[in-house]
Amino acid sequence: MPPPEAHHLFHHPIADHSFSADRQTLAVARENVVDLYQRSGSKYTLKDELTGHDKTVTGVDIAPSSGKIVTCAQDRNAYVWEPSPEGWKPTLVLLRINRAATCVRWAPSETKFAVGSGARLIPVCYFEEEDNWWVSKHIKKPIRSTITAVAWHPNSVLLAAGSTDGHARVLSAFVKGIDDKPQPSAWGERLPFNTVCGEFLNNTAGWVHSVAFSPSGNALAFAAHDSTLTVVYPSGPDEPPRAVLSVSTQVLPFMSLVWSSESEIIAAGYNCEAYRLQGSEQGWELAGSLESKGRPGIQDQREESALNMFRQMDLKGSAKDDTKLKTVHQNTINTVRSFEESGGQVRKVSTSGVDGRVVIWTL
Amino acid sequence: MANPNWRTINIDALDPDSPANFDLTTLTPAVNPVSTADVQSLAGQIRQLLRGGDSEGALQGALENPPYGADDKGKEVHLATVIEILQSIRQADMSPILSRIYSAPGGTEALDVLMKYIYKGMAQSNTAGTTRNITPQATGFSQIHARGGGEGGGQAMSVLLSWHEKLVEIAGPGSIVRVMTDRRTV
Repeated sequence: MPPPEAHHLFHHPIADHSFSADRQTLAVARENVVDLYQRSGSKYTLKDELTGHDKTVTGVDIAPSSGKIVTCAQDRNAYVWEPSPEGWKPTLVLLRINRAATCVRWAPSETKFAVGSGARLIPVCYFEEEDNWWVSKHIKKPIRSTITAVAWHPNSVLLAAGSTDGHARVLSAFVKGIDDKPQPSAWGERLPFNTVCGEFLNNTAGWVHSVAFSPSGNALAFAAHDSTLTVVYPSGPDEPPRAVLSVSTQVLPFMSLVWSSESEIIAAGYNCEAYRLQGSEQGWELAGSLESKGRPGIQDQREESALNMFRQMDLKGSAKDDTKLKTVHQNTINTVRSFEESGGQVRKVSTSGVDGRVVIWTL
Repeated sequence: MANPNWRTINIDALDPDSPANFDLTTLTPAVNPVSTADVQSLAGQIRQLLRGGDSEGALQGALENPPYGADDKGKEVHLATVIEILQSIRQADMSPILSRIYSAPGGTEALDVLMKYIYKGMAQSNTAGTTRNITPQATGFSQIHARGGGEGGGQAMSVLLSWHEKLVEIAGPGSIVRVMTDRRTV
């Protein structure tokens, strides 16, 4: 397994990151701007800055085929950025929320996107040709608290949302005139806007950090602040799910997760390293860390002379430098995303965290 | 002229969409109410096991049936039972017992419950006297009674601390986070 590719961009937390489809451009949210990095050789160099938000940017997502960038921030606004000859051109989106926006994701169809917010609702935004305007429709009903994560089903109609009220929900975000009628699935058959297809609460009612549909869309995984990861297999509309499998881990909670295949999830969070979870409808378990412990560079300590040892003890009060974590990331990982896929399997994932690093891992 | 005090108006009461107007029980896991008498009879059975020398069975029984739905009185009875069991087990036996419980089905859940009782015990071990009535129990453990509780609580605290150490070795920090997150308090 090749070693992870770490890019230390700056000394600020990265709230969210996103790569363009060709993986040459990397967008990261740094404070109230979005930095665009361009790949040159083995490094990413700063190329452009998207300024416009006046508070911390909380979400950024690049649409794979159109290349449009959507950003959202605590200033309650979202912008869609389009490339033009004069640079990136922002368009304000009418979110109509009175609290911070927390996360944003394009639907796979790229005709709309969903924004999580602290206003206990999810604006689903789409482009109104007539008015040349991004408008939003609100998913409101059963949401009791801040939305922390949104994720789309491959059919671009169903939306999963995790919330601080401890529930992970599957909702319909069907917009007439934008979406085609979806195929019936295990989540539901008739799906008008704001249909609640599933509501899941885990044992402790810990708030949810991250949600994701499996590649087929037939299973939902969510990670919560009680250090558990729960996988739900639905059985059909208006029926209780076939299986709800919860893994109580020994590690600190996961902040983000991504399915690498139908039987494997990569999750990372407060433990500063990414973990692999494997399983099926019969059960899930934590299979181990993505990092091989004792990577070279950590263990090969220089041979210490006695003089050097005492000098270190004099300077720092300890013989060895233990100010660094043994993981690649030096702080909480906020976001895990798929980086490279082939044959329906994710081959590489990228992570970003509070330490200002973006790391690309080969699975 | 009427001069209403704007700052004291409860605006949440006037806003139908306000989170203050939710039924908060929908946000917490459902727990079945348990009467104090039931808790007491369970405590009796567990003591029976303990007297018979089966402290592991007693611990397992106590952790499998936490009285989440009981009132304060019932919860206190069960806490006393758990603490009694914990104090009766020798230090050398702690780790083997914990790893056996952990590998049993539902083991992580049982150890999370034990963690709750350890924290609750730490919060209460010096409350035998006058301070009992000010213990806030919202989170299951309180910081008001930190620092071992002086002379009286020292012994109980050292037992709880060694249990805590052994438990974290086996259940990891994930268990601590679960206890802090859990809405079902003991």
